[in-house]
Amino acid sequence: MRQIQFIRSNTFLWALAVAAAFALFVVGLFAFTYWKLDDYLIARSDRMIMTRINFIADLPSGRRIGAISDHLEQDSRGVQYAGLFNGAGTRLAGNIDSLPRALDLGGAAQGVRLDLIEKSAVHGPVIRVVGRRLENGDVLVMGRNVDETHEISSVVGQALALGLLPAFCLCLLAGAWLSVRAQRRVEEVNQRVQRIVAGELRERLPEDNSDDPFGRLARIVNGMLAEMETMINALAGVGNDIAHDLRTPLTRARLALERGRTHATTLEQLQEVTDKAMAGIDQSLAIVTALLRLTEIENSRRTAGFGNVALDEILREVCDVYEPIAEDKGIGLGVVIDRNVQVWGDRDLLFEAMANLVDNAVKFTPPGGQVRLELVSEDDTALVRVSDTGPGISTQEREAVLRRFYRSDKMRNTPGVGLGLSLVAAIVKLHGFRLIIGPAPGGRIEILAWTGRASKAAACRSRTPTLEAVNQM
Amino acid sequence: MTRILLIEDDAETAEVIVAELADRGFEVQWAPDGVDGLDRARAACPDAMIVDRMLPGMDGLTVIEALRKDRVGTPVLVLSALGAVDDRVRGLRMGGDDYLTKPFAIIELVARIEALLRRPMDSRETTLHVGPLELDLIERTARRDEREIDLLPREFRLLEYMMRRSDQLLTRAMLLEEVWNYKFVPATTNLIDVHMGRLRHKVDGPGDTQLIHNVRGSGFILRSRA
Repeated sequence: MRQIQFIRSNTFLWALAVAAAFALFVVGLFAFTYWKLDDYLIARSDRMIMTRINFIADLPSGRRIGAISDHLEQDSRGVQYAGLFNGAGTRLAGNIDSLPRALDLGGAAQGVRLDLIEKSAVHGPVIRVVGRRLENGDVLVMGRNVDETHEISSVVGQALALGLLPAFCLCLLAGAWLSVRAQRRVEEVNQRVQRIVAGELRERLPEDNSDDPFGRLARIVNGMLAEMETMINALAGVGNDIAHDLRTPLTRARLALERGRTHATTLEQLQEVTDKAMAGIDQSLAIVTALLRLTEIENSRRTAGFGNVALDEILREVCDVYEPIAEDKGIGLGVVIDRNVQVWGDRDLLFEAMANLVDNAVKFTPPGGQVRLELVSEDDTALVRVSDTGPGISTQEREAVLRRFYRSDKMRNTPGVGLGLSLVAAIVKLHGFRLIIGPAPGGRIEILAWTGRASKAAACRSRTPTLEAVNQM
Repeated sequence: MTRILLIEDDAETAEVIVAELADRGFEVQWAPDGVDGLDRARAACPDAMIVDRMLPGMDGLTVIEALRKDRVGTPVLVLSALGAVDDRVRGLRMGGDDYLTKPFAIIELVARIEALLRRPMDSRETTLHVGPLELDLIERTARRDEREIDLLPREFRLLEYMMRRSDQLLTRAMLLEEVWNYKFVPATTNLIDVHMGRLRHKVDGPGDTQLIHNVRGSGFILRSRA
């Protein structure tokens, strides 16, 4: 199994392919060299034969026989051939037995089979031959054995075998080594990932300080794992918060029902008990509803409901809704709109966000205070600011308020579900806007929106939330 | 007698709804799944229908779509455990039907069914009359007998809505959705009460017979007769 895996491994197959390509290339290179060399050597020997035959042909006829035997005697390797024949074809001198028939007299050098006086050990040596008819009717034939090229080719072949085989093996070895190494690392990563899948969130991939792709990948994945671990832990915390927040009203309902069951004697008493129990259940349901709503917005990648939204209208409407409530509490609610501004967004959601902010501001501002709604616009941004004269949000609490169910300890007894700001944050994020929480004292929350063309781009960006975006929140 | 068809797969929920509606003088038929429900709707021609969205066999919205294809215009109240209002439901609401998210108060369901059965007063009317109240939709003025009532725009809108549905129970959720166009539940629970308090203060002056009534725990009624 492991063997097959190893052979099938991608790295190994690649190494094999590279080795094969390399071998092919080398063979090609040698073949070309051989072919060129062969050509060159033959051309060279042809030229030498020509020079020689011209030299002998130019000699006076009486000295030719002597020159031929001199020439043959000087050739210790026995690769030179020469023959002088008279007009009838009878040999006058040299080591060629008879005049080869195929020989084209007066032409260029050609490969021809010769009848030699002393038969060579090699069968049918390849010989380059030139023949010439002399002015006195004799025929002069000169040739040269070019078998040397075969020797050269065998040398080249040996060189090839010597060089290519080890190179090929080296390639395969390197491939195998890389493959095994990659396999081992993948296997290790696999084991760790299995552990993470099994729930061991603290596990990380092996990391070394090297700068190779594997190391970098491991570092990236580890960064992601760390982020996810934090998020999952936070979610677990949220789960506890939900459980706690649901438990309180449910406990009240249960206690009321239990007491009512044993102590109620009249219908009125029983009704009172049921009212209390229903109030407790309604509060639990309100929490569930708010939570589902939050999840719905957070998971919503839809921008189908998006269109041009007039922020100024929303602000006026929110002010309109909350004015009587603020007035009843003895709080002044004012709206300041610098210019009418349109943004790209979901009208209902933006209304919900603003209403939540004003709702909070009115809730947390003591009687006699002020809540102000402002819309400040610049070139391509619009700033919605909700400020109040309440306690505000301290620096330490700034991040916590965006968490689900967070309610400042001071506010424990103020009614509310405690999801308001998380909801606002989710809506703002969906639009690609920014939520800014101002420093205490005095509450100040701002939503920085993009107007015009930048607005649509921001909405598109929000579909692929980045870590940066989360940090901005 | 007004006949209502309830298509709901949970027998316990269905039992409570049937009992409650029967107490209020409705004749209720119950179908436990979509296919059965559609058959009954075609055969019995009820005056209104209550349809659960998630049903075995055929889902609630499909039942309604099938009926609409047959040109059956029976008003429908859709019940759903899904909070998210999607496009299909949006289309439904445009057609004058209603949507209620589970869990709901039974009184809310009854109020909505009654609202569906009693279509609002003709919208071409330019003046609305309820008892001693008169609302001029063009001049944007309101009077009670001879007394001019000075209303803010939002109060006018609220009174107009209530006058079109006089003698009907209007729940807070209905008012939020229809008058304030809210698509969510506001954090401040007494939002409507504060607005209604102001309106009532103006409509029912000292010594007048009370017209706007608070129904404890459920909503408000504008009564045409004292």
